[in-house]
Amino acid sequence: MRTVAIHAVPEEQLTHVTFDATMEERISELLTHYPTRRAALLPVLWLCQERYGWIAPGVIEAVAARLGESPAFVQGVVTFYTMFYTSPPARYVLQVCKTLSCAVCGGRELLEHLKARLGIDLGERTQDGTFQLIGVQCLGACGSAPVIQINDDYYENLTIEQLDALVDELSQGKEA
Amino acid sequence: MPKVTIDGTVVEVPAGTNLIEAARQAGVAIPYFCYHPYLSIVGQCRICMVEIEGAPRLAIACATPVTDGMVVRSETSARVKEARDAVMEFLLANHPLDCPVCDQAGECLLQDHSFTEGRDTTHMVETRRTFPGLERRLLGPHIVQNQNRCIHCSRCIRFTQEISETAALTYKSRGNHAFIDTFDGQPFTDPFSACTADVCPVGALTIREFRFRKRAWKLRSTPSVCPGCSIGCNLWIDHHERTVYRFTPRENPAVNATWLCDFGRFLAESLNETHCLHPLHRVEGQLHRVSWGEAMRALALDVSAARTLRVVASANLSNETLFLARELFVRHLKGELVVPVHPGEPRRMKNGKGEWLYSRDAHPNSEGARRLGLELVDGERLARFLYGAADLTVILDPTAHPYLSTAEALQLLRVSPTLSLARTNHPTAEVASWLLPVASLASDEGTFTSSGGHVQRFQPAFSPAGEARPAWQILQLLARAMGVSALDLDSPAAVFAAMATKEKGFSGLEWERLGGGSPSTYREHQHVG
Amino acid sequence: MEPVLLRARGVPNSRHIDTYLAAGGYEGLKKALTMDPEAVTKEVLDSELRGRGGAGFPTGRKWTFVPKEHPGPKYLICNADESEPGTFKDREIIEYDPHLLIEGIAIASYAIRANTAYIYIRGEFVRWARILETAIAEARQRDILGASVMGSNYRLDVWVHRGAGAYICGEETSLIESLEGKRGFPRLKPPFPAVVGVFGKPTVVNNVETLACVPSILTRGAAWFASIGRPRNTGPKLYCVSGHVRRPGVYELPMGVTFREIIEEHCGGIRDGHTLKAFFPGGSSAPVMTPDQIDVKADFDACAEAGSMLGSGGVIVLDDSVDMVEAAANLAHFYAHESCGQCTPCREGSDWAMDILDRILEGHGRPEDPATLLRICQYASQGMTICPLGDAFALPISSIVKKFPYEFERHIAAATPRPPKKLPVLPWAGPRPGFDGQ
Ligand SMILES: Cc1cc2nc3c(=O)[nH]c(=O)nc-3n(C[C@H](O)[C@H](O)[C@H](O)COP(=O)(O)O)c2cc1C
Ligand code: SF4
Ligand code: FES
Ligand code: FES
Repeated sequence: MRTVAIHAVPEEQLTHVTFDATMEERISELLTHYPTRRAALLPVLWLCQERYGWIAPGVIEAVAARLGESPAFVQGVVTFYTMFYTSPPARYVLQVCKTLSCAVCGGRELLEHLKARLGIDLGERTQDGTFQLIGVQCLGACGSAPVIQINDDYYENLTIEQLDALVDELSQGKEA
Repeated sequence: MPKVTIDGTVVEVPAGTNLIEAARQAGVAIPYFCYHPYLSIVGQCRICMVEIEGAPRLAIACATPVTDGMVVRSETSARVKEARDAVMEFLLANHPLDCPVCDQAGECLLQDHSFTEGRDTTHMVETRRTFPGLERRLLGPHIVQNQNRCIHCSRCIRFTQEISETAALTYKSRGNHAFIDTFDGQPFTDPFSACTADVCPVGALTIREFRFRKRAWKLRSTPSVCPGCSIGCNLWIDHHERTVYRFTPRENPAVNATWLCDFGRFLAESLNETHCLHPLHRVEGQLHRVSWGEAMRALALDVSAARTLRVVASANLSNETLFLARELFVRHLKGELVVPVHPGEPRRMKNGKGEWLYSRDAHPNSEGARRLGLELVDGERLARFLYGAADLTVILDPTAHPYLSTAEALQLLRVSPTLSLARTNHPTAEVASWLLPVASLASDEGTFTSSGGHVQRFQPAFSPAGEARPAWQILQLLARAMGVSALDLDSPAAVFAAMATKEKGFSGLEWERLGGGSPSTYREHQHVG
Repeated sequence: MEPVLLRARGVPNSRHIDTYLAAGGYEGLKKALTMDPEAVTKEVLDSELRGRGGAGFPTGRKWTFVPKEHPGPKYLICNADESEPGTFKDREIIEYDPHLLIEGIAIASYAIRANTAYIYIRGEFVRWARILETAIAEARQRDILGASVMGSNYRLDVWVHRGAGAYICGEETSLIESLEGKRGFPRLKPPFPAVVGVFGKPTVVNNVETLACVPSILTRGAAWFASIGRPRNTGPKLYCVSGHVRRPGVYELPMGVTFREIIEEHCGGIRDGHTLKAFFPGGSSAPVMTPDQIDVKADFDACAEAGSMLGSGGVIVLDDSVDMVEAAANLAHFYAHESCGQCTPCREGSDWAMDILDRILEGHGRPEDPATLLRICQYASQGMTICPLGDAFALPISSIVKKFPYEFERHIAAATPRPPKKLPVLPWAGPRPGFDGQ
């Protein structure tokens, strides 16, 4: 498994977003799934996050205009859910499960290790923008605790050694 | 209609009524924070818990419609008391308790209920949650936000989604860290923005213009009607010691539910502008102060001597004033009278049924003038009207039309003597030979006919400043001075009665039934919603 | 028992539609299409299948609540939000046997006459959302879904809808709001979703595992299903075991095995050198159980009798190394993070409880803390809130306070008073240059 890095488009380039033909096509297709335009909001936000790496205010305005909602409404939705990035994320977002099963099965140690190794605290990112560390709630994989999600991928049953190897690999990927 | 028993009182209410409203009719006040009669029901605050006989759990009154034979206990139930106690403790856990420096004090639902409930301890010893940066923030031109005080009732959000339809406000984040904001923190420029402070049950949203100008409990409220446009929103003039502090919406489902637009609401201040305090007469180019008696005697002669008399009335004047003007100047003195109207900014208002009412008419009483058979003219025709010659021009309201303050109008008015009623400084004062001080809406009494055809009464909040008199009274005094006893009617009620017998548009209406209610202290009508 | 729900686990290429068809897949749907929708519902009703999402509501009953004569569209929603801590079974079904789920969805949709079904899957499950999309595309290509389901005149579209990180969106009305594109705020009930659901239309929300049980009920019959377990607690069940057991994982067992069997036999017991201290029988929202309750049957009624609940079947096992105050604090953090924030008791209570527990762990506990926690829990549950998340946070925490009082006492006995909070220095409070010393 090779975790795909996130490429966050800088905010300056997202002040006035217009959807290109590919995006438009996918949005139109999504709209056929639902009887209301509003219902396509989450899928369209996902599309945008895939495309731009995060949900910038400019993206919110474009989505709001496309779906006929107020930007405030869309921003309210975006901020309710924890998975939409409202600021540009690092290339790899390390999402460490903090909930009970993971916590008691080595998750806490993994988290401490990551903090020490990367020299950052929860919510922070490394200076070179490669890693960002966040604590998340139960990822629904408690049987293979401890669990870390990196970008879209799950890494389960992780030992500190495996995690170190993984972090090495990903940081090298940056150079490649 | 279903019958319910609430704390022992039986009431019969229309099907679909919720328990809060049913209880109100039974004289039982069920506390509520998130419920608002004109907003959707969300059941978020949980303070309205009641016990329903036969139900194992407590229910929220706001979301429970009455059913026939229901037996409800509110104040008489120990379980209810405990539950509400707990909810209050939760709500106050993070509430700053800064009532002494909070401008909502005195009209705060949370403070009120806290007081009624009477509990003065808490188990909470943790550090209170705060929202740094959102503690005294200008959310928009009229709204100051203090998020620390927010009790998450979502009324303001629902207002912008359901009533003003801008959906300009939203919760951001979630859980205990959710806060109220606009998109990206942009200014909250909703045309109804101040209503969000009305619906805010606590001091989280307050009105910039009113904050810290007067403690709420000092205010007295007088029922009135908005002078801002022809929709005729019902409002209270909140005043103290002859100063108007604000307008607040007065409930009327047919017109403005419990809303006011920002434009109308912030006209309140303008009622305090009173520059003309005494009758003035121009002699050899100089204005001299005269008494009402002298003025009326002299004017009676001038008016009867005028062979051609022209009157510029106004769609800002009450039906009573317009009626007297028509009877006196047109019927009796055979003068000519026009009512200039000018299109205003487009305004709209949502009534209690959720329908928009629209207006492009800047006057509160054009419809009244029309129904009295008066001639409504635009600026162009007003100019032509003034261009013709006359021995005497009477201007009942210099602010009737912007044309009256143009250099051209002044030039035309200089040609012959002009009598003008005046309250604020206005260019016509430079050319008028007589200036009579007239009272503001806050000191006047009468009715306006809204564009929707509602004849609505407004009442005087306090007596006029200086020697000013309400317009109807000036006309009555003039009629008396001229010996026209049929028009010597000593109150707007009497004028209205005369009008109701004579005029089609008013037949069958009774003064006492025109709504408005009685003047009250602010407390008595607060939080209709 | 031979596996029903996990029959494909370990089978090569098990996700592919051909593998599924070769193993007799979609026979249940084929059979259902020859029956009256009401007859399908009746079959499920007779099987006594109860919802596997947490509440254990009889599935057939729920389907009958959909107004039959309702003219407009109706919807089926498959709840694949799987966010209850300790629960990871739905992912297992999707990973190995997505077509089993799709068949269940198709049968259920047919039974309630829905032409559109949504699978609401938690946002983190990117991989499993893709698996479902692939499987749906396969089924569509074989005319198992689409305009004419298996050649009948029944039309069914199934769409995958990803959440975006919110536990509360597992609660069915919150899920519906989220599906409609809003913040996941649970709705007031009544009306129930079966009458007014998504887009204001009658809607049935069922868990993945629940729906995955449906095909075999059709093929093997309600009587076979009801023969597993005991009355009102029937069928195969996925138990997800996590925590301090030797072999954590998902186990398919007949409903009603005891927790002892699950923990000791199937999971190989507690890890070396430790003993069982406590377990949550049905996800973290169930009241905690203690070693003396290990012989309780892991079914709906037995757990309820034991003062807890089977919930989602997520068994979280904690051994003697765990500080129960820490466990409570961990859960409090979870619920405070996940409370949607609508209603007062849950929003304020979860945060407050978290603060108290954190303070105890920081060494500043106070003697009255356990009582305060119990009071918070009491008034954040049992109908005081809009949705059951209030109960979900209150029950486990209050059960820990009640069952492990000595752990709290230990912390509190060793506690020191909290140092007074440092107030920020006001800008004008310091020495004023030019005025001091003159
Ligand atoms: C806070 C909360 C979270 C829930 N999370 C889930 C979940 O993740 N998955 C699920 O299937 N049901 C969840 N439920 C239960 C659902 O509300 C609903 O009862 C269930 O999806 C119905 O399906 P069933 O009848 O098949 O069990 C949750 C309930 C609550 C109160
Ligand atoms: S109980 Fe909690 S999660 Fe449920 S509606 Fe209330 S605040 Fe939201
Ligand atoms: S507790 Fe970490 S995945 Fe569930
Ligand atoms: S008024 Fe009923 S819950 Fe708020």
